[in-house]
Amino acid sequence: MPLTAESAAQQIQDRLKDIQQHIHIVDEERRRAENSISSLVRSLHATNQKVKPLLKASLMEASQEEATIRAALAKIHEIRSIRNERRIQARNAGNKEAIRRGALMKMVQLSAQTLPLFVGKLGERAPALCGAIPAEGNYVAKVGDNVAALAKGIDEEENWILAEVVQFLHRQNKYDVIDIDEEQKDRHVLSKRKVIPLPLMRANPETDGHALFPKDTVVMALYPQTTCFYKAIVHRLPQTATEDYEVLFEDSSYLNGYAEPLPVAQRYVIAYRPTKKGAGSGSGNLSSA
Amino acid sequence: MSGGPSITLKSQPIDGNNTGNAAAQQQQQANANGAATAGASGAPGSSVQAQTPGNAGAVGGGSVPAEGTRQNSLQRIQQRKQKVFNLPVPQKLAKLSMYSACQSEGCRCTGWKTPQENRHRDVESSYCPEFNEECRNASCRHSLRMHIAHLDNISSSSMDELLGAIIDMENLFMSMQRVEDEDTKKVYLYLFRLLRQCVLTRQQAVIRGPLGDPPFESPCITKAVLSLVFYKYNHLNPTELQTMTEVAKTFLNFLNHYNFESPSTRRGDLTHEDASNYKINYTRWLVFCHVPAFCNSLRQFETSLVFGRTLLRTVFQYMSQQLKKKCISERDRFPEDKRSIITQMPKFLEALRAELLKDDSPIWDPNYRPPNSFVIQQRKRHQEVAPAAPGASVASIGGAKRASVGEPLHKRIKKEPTDRCSSESLDDLPPDVVMRAMKSVSESKTTNKAEILFPVNVSRDENVKAEEQKRAIEFHVVGNSLTKPVDKQTVLWLLGLQLVFAYQLPEMPREYISQLVFDTKHKTLALIKENQPIGGICFRPFPTQGFTEIVFCAVTMSEQVKGYGTHLMNHLKDYSIMRGIKHLLTFADCDAIGYFKKQGFSKDIKLARPVYAGYIKEYDSATLMHCELHPSIVNTQFIAVIRNQSEILKELIAQRHNEVQKVRPGLTCFKEGLPSIPVESIPGLREIGWKPQMRPARSARPLEESSDPEKLATSFASVLQSVRQHTTAWPFLRPVTAAEVPDYYDHIKYPMDLKTMGERLKKGYYQTRRLFMADMARIFSNCRFYNSPDTEYYRCANSLERYFQTKMRELGLWDK
Repeated sequence: MPLTAESAAQQIQDRLKDIQQHIHIVDEERRRAENSISSLVRSLHATNQKVKPLLKASLMEASQEEATIRAALAKIHEIRSIRNERRIQARNAGNKEAIRRGALMKMVQLSAQTLPLFVGKLGERAPALCGAIPAEGNYVAKVGDNVAALAKGIDEEENWILAEVVQFLHRQNKYDVIDIDEEQKDRHVLSKRKVIPLPLMRANPETDGHALFPKDTVVMALYPQTTCFYKAIVHRLPQTATEDYEVLFEDSSYLNGYAEPLPVAQRYVIAYRPTKKGAGSGSGNLSSA
Repeated sequence: MSGGPSITLKSQPIDGNNTGNAAAQQQQQANANGAATAGASGAPGSSVQAQTPGNAGAVGGGSVPAEGTRQNSLQRIQQRKQKVFNLPVPQKLAKLSMYSACQSEGCRCTGWKTPQENRHRDVESSYCPEFNEECRNASCRHSLRMHIAHLDNISSSSMDELLGAIIDMENLFMSMQRVEDEDTKKVYLYLFRLLRQCVLTRQQAVIRGPLGDPPFESPCITKAVLSLVFYKYNHLNPTELQTMTEVAKTFLNFLNHYNFESPSTRRGDLTHEDASNYKINYTRWLVFCHVPAFCNSLRQFETSLVFGRTLLRTVFQYMSQQLKKKCISERDRFPEDKRSIITQMPKFLEALRAELLKDDSPIWDPNYRPPNSFVIQQRKRHQEVAPAAPGASVASIGGAKRASVGEPLHKRIKKEPTDRCSSESLDDLPPDVVMRAMKSVSESKTTNKAEILFPVNVSRDENVKAEEQKRAIEFHVVGNSLTKPVDKQTVLWLLGLQLVFAYQLPEMPREYISQLVFDTKHKTLALIKENQPIGGICFRPFPTQGFTEIVFCAVTMSEQVKGYGTHLMNHLKDYSIMRGIKHLLTFADCDAIGYFKKQGFSKDIKLARPVYAGYIKEYDSATLMHCELHPSIVNTQFIAVIRNQSEILKELIAQRHNEVQKVRPGLTCFKEGLPSIPVESIPGLREIGWKPQMRPARSARPLEESSDPEKLATSFASVLQSVRQHTTAWPFLRPVTAAEVPDYYDHIKYPMDLKTMGERLKKGYYQTRRLFMADMARIFSNCRFYNSPDTEYYRCANSLERYFQTKMRELGLWDK
């Protein structure tokens, strides 16, 4: 079913209304939970009262609140997919939005900042494609997902670029991807091993530290304000869910071979995969960008 | 410009210190000498010699005028007019008859003449001749009735108007007798004759002639002074700004009541050219501003509304001295809360003086406009102040002034603002319309649905400006010095900048970068983020040459494509403009050309080579690029301003569209076989405000067909010379020969080339600008017709045409 701009806007509007309702509910539930917690605390001091039922009630309320918040998050997720769907349809229809480089870079940053955060249930481990956890071997990225793709540019040089999946060609076991940067040669058909899916969720360093690359890991990271991945070393891990990694890019113009630390979002830091020539050759050849 | 407290100087006006009969009697002499009305053969009406007791008291006869004479005179004139207006009708008619032509056929008498024995009596008091009394003019001898026959059906108001003019005329005549300055005398005489003629022909007095029509200069002094207040004091808090506005108004008021020195007294201190200009302006002032203040049968103009920079420049020094003196002497008479006006006056005068002397001062730019919001604020304030004004004026010096100015003058002044409004609306929209449009633009922004789908594509520099506002980034101009101590921060930043340039410009030798960044003649505009330089432009100003050379320009890799480069360049432009530099030059390597083009640079160098050759560092395999700066554009605001303007415009168009929307049946005339119809006959076009394109008013252009043909020829010669020397002129220097291009003349029927144009110029063929432009245009159109767009010739034609237009524009010979 074609998704027109109007119907997409309408659907999003509906979701936003739902979210607003959810937020009101969450607010009420939180207030109720706070009440029961304070009465629980009082009863703990009073000693002679029965604590267990109160405790049970509080637990109930807390998990209800959690459910509501998750429902709201699910709505946000829906909005993201509607927008994505609409964008893909618009692209297939041939209206390529003319977007300025500055705005493109802003979008690249923004989509990393708003990547969903993984909040696991008790004891649940971070799934694949959350933070540094790689995808399973047989995983196939969905249409519209962002990937790092080892593609040949106009100058026939291979680079890991930021791209979007257009389709997966099952018979050939190849990806059809499109360069995020419209100014480049846009379509590439690449074998599966030349395509790395990007994380679909952020890991929270405070709860899922294991889903982050340890310090000094050799990784590939998107160079800030570009759409290319280069070899880098993890210098500092994010300390909170909203922080970026700090990485040292290989750069021959610096005396020690590495540039000053630069911030890169979780979404754009992926495991290093050696190529024939090595991933990129530093930023020196980008100075004309 | 009312509302400001008034400080005026004593004046030596046409003071009405004379009785009507005296004037009339004098005037008879003048007429007898043939000095007055053309065509008057005999001496016209006469009147009474003896002073009547009622008038005697008023005669001061040119004694030293005291403070406030102007007011007294106005009052006296008004009283006298009122007295005449109250006379019984027969007496009025008798008075009129003395200035009215005899209506008998063939009689050339221009006014009824009193019998000898009654010449000492005054029609304004006791004397009333019989209507059948015969005119004592030897060639007339017709009765008084014959002189007023045409006035039979006249309304009492137009009769009073005529009488008013007669009194003005008599006053003028008296003043003419008293005034010593010859030039002034001539002007009085001219106006006297004009009024005389008007009374005779019963027409409204209109001043025509070589003086031109007001306004004489644009912008007028009032506009420029208001612009100055905005330009200089906009940053002040509202109270201070209010004070400065009042200072400005006080100044304008003073100017409007100022008595200009006669040209003869100024001859000593002005150059020949200035003196002759001053003489013209002085005469204009007398005729349009000064005399009409006293003679309200002439239309009065405010000095500050019709004159501009030229006049103010010549009188400013002396006038500001007087004003300062006045401020000191009037100080104590000013109410407490208005004292600040006095204390701020010297500062204001100094600022105005500086702007008067600067050739490129924005306030004298006809296109300069303070933002609408400012104008609106000022108007609001004005409105708030206005109701309180009568009370306030009583408190200020010379409290009763307003009342004594006299009704008719008020009426005239009131007319002025409406005139001005209508002329303003021609070149701009009324502010309230703009405000409404702005409001609906911002409203529609908040309800924009498209945003839900995708984020808005904000303008290139908006994010950067937001960051700058939050002080997340800062811009500083830093440089090394050998004579002054350089603080540590500067040195650290310079080191950081050197690194930024070194990493971003790997082709440049590091030593060379260090050398220039730390050179004391070079400065660097640094972009600082978290106290680290992340980008910058290293430049060298050449103040004597009026240009700045850009040496390095870079933003650190990881901060690129955020709009920092654009904002840096805009800051450099504003910085340069503030220092009077109007050109930026740079040698751009091939990777940088795109960036510089985006920043308004062009490979087309509009600066003469001698200005920069030998000053600027030349690089191999790099392209020289040039950007000319406009002194009244604030570059850091430019994108936002343009965006707003276009949004407002879209909104206005949409509004208009809603208003005029209408479906029409459509044209059938083409089906009926008409090949074409005039555009204006399409139904509805005129209704929505379409007007046939009109050529701009001729007088608006500095050099025109009517102007000196020799001057025009010199201008054409210089343009032709520059065009010939341009690098792309080579295909057009000589006529195309059929030997070289055999089929050329099959296609081109009207060949033209620069050599032929030179010959035509020598022969004096180019009598008008149009002829010259037409031939030049022919060269380019021929070329583009014969050659295809991908040829070198075609490109040459385009480039040379642009150059030609630039040259013509420089000389003011191009239509806007």
